[in-house]
Amino acid sequence: MSTSTNKNSYKGLYWIWAALTVVGILIGLYAPAWLMPRSMSNNMHLTVLTMVVFSVAAAPVAAGVYATALFALRHWAHKGDDVPAPGPQVRENAVVVTTWLVVSTVLTVFLLIWGLGALAVDNGSNGKNPLVVDVTGQQWVWSFSYPGTHVQSNELYLPVNREVEFRVTSVDVTHGFWIANMGIQVDANVGTITTIHTTPDKLGTFNIRCTQFCGLNHAFMVTEGHVLTSQQFTSWLASQPQRA
Amino acid sequence: MTTTLEQTKTAAIPQGGGLARRLNMLTAMVGGGLVAWLFWFLAHHFLDPTSRTYSDEVAVSLTIGWIIGFWLGIGAFIAPLRWVTGRDNTRADDLYLAGQGQGTSRYWKFTTDHKVVGVQYIVMTMVLLGAGGILAMAIRTELIVPGNHFVNQQVYNGFIAVHGMLMILALIVAVAGPWGNFVVPIMCGARDMAFPRLNALSLWTLVGAAALLLTTLAVGSLTMGWVVLEPIADQAGIGMDFFAMAIIVFTVSTTVAGVNIICTVMTMRTKGMSLARLPIFVWGAIIAAALGLYAFPFFSLVEAQTLVDRTFSTSFFVASGGGAGWLQANLFWLMGHPEVYVILLPAVGALFEISSVMARKPVFSYRTAVAAMTGLAGLSILVWAHHMFTTGWAPTLGGPFMLTTELISIPTGLFFLVLIGTLWRGNIWMKLPTIWMFGFIANFIIAGVTGIYLSDIPLDDQLHGTMFVTAHFHYVFVGSVLFGAVSALAFWFPKVTGRFLNEFLGRISFWLVFIGVQVTFLAMFVSGLKGMPRRYSSYAIIFEHSNFITTIGAYIIMAGMLVLLGAVITSWNKGEPAGPNPWHANSLEWMVPTPVPLENFDVLPVITEDPYNYGEELVRS
Repeated sequence: MSTSTNKNSYKGLYWIWAALTVVGILIGLYAPAWLMPRSMSNNMHLTVLTMVVFSVAAAPVAAGVYATALFALRHWAHKGDDVPAPGPQVRENAVVVTTWLVVSTVLTVFLLIWGLGALAVDNGSNGKNPLVVDVTGQQWVWSFSYPGTHVQSNELYLPVNREVEFRVTSVDVTHGFWIANMGIQVDANVGTITTIHTTPDKLGTFNIRCTQFCGLNHAFMVTEGHVLTSQQFTSWLASQPQRA
Repeated sequence: MTTTLEQTKTAAIPQGGGLARRLNMLTAMVGGGLVAWLFWFLAHHFLDPTSRTYSDEVAVSLTIGWIIGFWLGIGAFIAPLRWVTGRDNTRADDLYLAGQGQGTSRYWKFTTDHKVVGVQYIVMTMVLLGAGGILAMAIRTELIVPGNHFVNQQVYNGFIAVHGMLMILALIVAVAGPWGNFVVPIMCGARDMAFPRLNALSLWTLVGAAALLLTTLAVGSLTMGWVVLEPIADQAGIGMDFFAMAIIVFTVSTTVAGVNIICTVMTMRTKGMSLARLPIFVWGAIIAAALGLYAFPFFSLVEAQTLVDRTFSTSFFVASGGGAGWLQANLFWLMGHPEVYVILLPAVGALFEISSVMARKPVFSYRTAVAAMTGLAGLSILVWAHHMFTTGWAPTLGGPFMLTTELISIPTGLFFLVLIGTLWRGNIWMKLPTIWMFGFIANFIIAGVTGIYLSDIPLDDQLHGTMFVTAHFHYVFVGSVLFGAVSALAFWFPKVTGRFLNEFLGRISFWLVFIGVQVTFLAMFVSGLKGMPRRYSSYAIIFEHSNFITTIGAYIIMAGMLVLLGAVITSWNKGEPAGPNPWHANSLEWMVPTPVPLENFDVLPVITEDPYNYGEELVRS
């Protein structure tokens, strides 16, 4: 093992790093949309986009560590069973530590700014006459009611392109109200109402699954939701039996 | 003190000991059983059976009786009582308690020698991992296909609660228990821990707690997951009382152990062993111990409140009585997040140590390593509410907690810098500890990157409560901490047994566990991304393939762990002999003979430099 290294000997490291970064970026670009449920709301578009952005940002860092580890295994692993000779006795390198610290801080600040921006958009209400839906969890069913209509249902019906405000509560234990296709989740707590907003922008059917462990039949606390055109939604609402 | 070594060599059993000569694990179990029965009898006869909380009152009485009886039966109270009554232990008594001349029987007793306690911790870790692992296999078998086919939902829910808690306990002690006890005092140049009897107490208290935790499966009716969610925990049966009492007893054990490690390092270092010359593993151990002292009181507090709610009908966490489930969640995660780093830091410290020895280089930027571990410990107490982003509690605090959580990636990144920097251009000795260390590096990256997704609230709103989270923290605990723990085991195994851990079996085990982890938990990420929530006993057909793959991966991990167990058992007495310093390392634990004599050093060493000067070692030899 020569202790004097000329610059060219790290060429392999840069190539592995570049190749792994490309692989990481490709996974980051395509895997989220491929694996996650079909996006049906503004929140879910943002969720998928955030995952893509974070994956792409993380790719070169993760690839750098993997590349170095692989390069170390290839070039610096000691062959044979005897005790290896001492390596270079480097204890500190202020330039490397400072650079690492600055780069990781810049990346972290970027993630934070993106996250705070996305958070503001995510939780925001556009205030244009949202449809209010009262969501109640109980072991182990969801029920949805539409204030002002006396309609109550165990499946959720929503009109497309209109903001919805879910007011979520529970009558027994904590449940988790999650629409995977819309990227929104909030707990249903006893004695408290939590609100969450989204605007469905695709027609179709989706699942609502409980994400907070709620006892025996937690795995079966599932129901369906439907996004309808506003005409369909109005006629569905009118067709429902009115509860006094 | 120079006679100590000779006394060990003659190996005569000292005359002292008194009653302690008759006590061991068996008397502890009998004592625990008897006093538990006595408390059950009294509760049964004097409490009001028509009370709504009657069965919980009886269960709590019984568990208190168990631990008191267990302590009595192991002899934990003898020395304090003798001290109070003015008949303090003599030198002969102390030597007897330290296990002098007692062969393997001392491993079943209240033995104060830190090396005995270290070995007992190795065995306890393996027992806890084994029990938790069997439950993991049962859980994965249930989930291999959709529908309930293996166990019913009630049993399944008990399995996930007990699997979670057993594994958390196992990993809290996995590195800090064996090596914090076995090597830290020697690394500091001390003859034993600062409080040897407390050391034995911490170990046997853990045994008592583990017994209670395993009992919960028999008494059943656990509905609350390992985090003891309220108010659902209120619906659990008396298994919940055993569960909570096991945790309270466990926190006593960790508190005692943490105080002991910190006091040992702070007061017992030999001449010249300044803080800046400490082996880096000692830093990992004491920072984790200090963090545990902050975190674990919340653990016992929250479980005590749960028990008081259940037995005295108070309502800390019961909404109908003015309590709040969110209070339980806050208290739990005030413990729960620092606890992750109580688990991680000793493993990271050990890997810094191992990377240096194996690459024949000093730890790269020792001060960065200490600062990163300290900084991580400090930050970790400010991030707890990221477990509560989706609960609806204090939405305005989302931004601040997102900030503190994302800052975690800076000290974590420094861990990689130190590890990579230490390996950089080294002559890396590819032995078992090194191989498992590389496994840690590969897995910890995945754990870190997926942690970044979860720290971001809009993304967490999608991924929280799903299998994605489960896969993430299994990459932390199995992929990272377990790999660090096995690396540490392979590294210090020759110091404990005088023999190498079997290299061939160790490598087979590595490949099985490494591949198994990728198969299991990458597929689990897919389940989570597709939309499968956690703690499901059954699932929709769209999650079928990823769950099947996860279960196959889990079986591969089990096979690997069984091979590792086989390697440990066969190598313990029959492995390839190793000298006192098989890795040619410079820290003090390698300078004493193997097996390490009672009280470690014949003459206490004087330290003139840190243990990382490999260049000089070459000159000397």
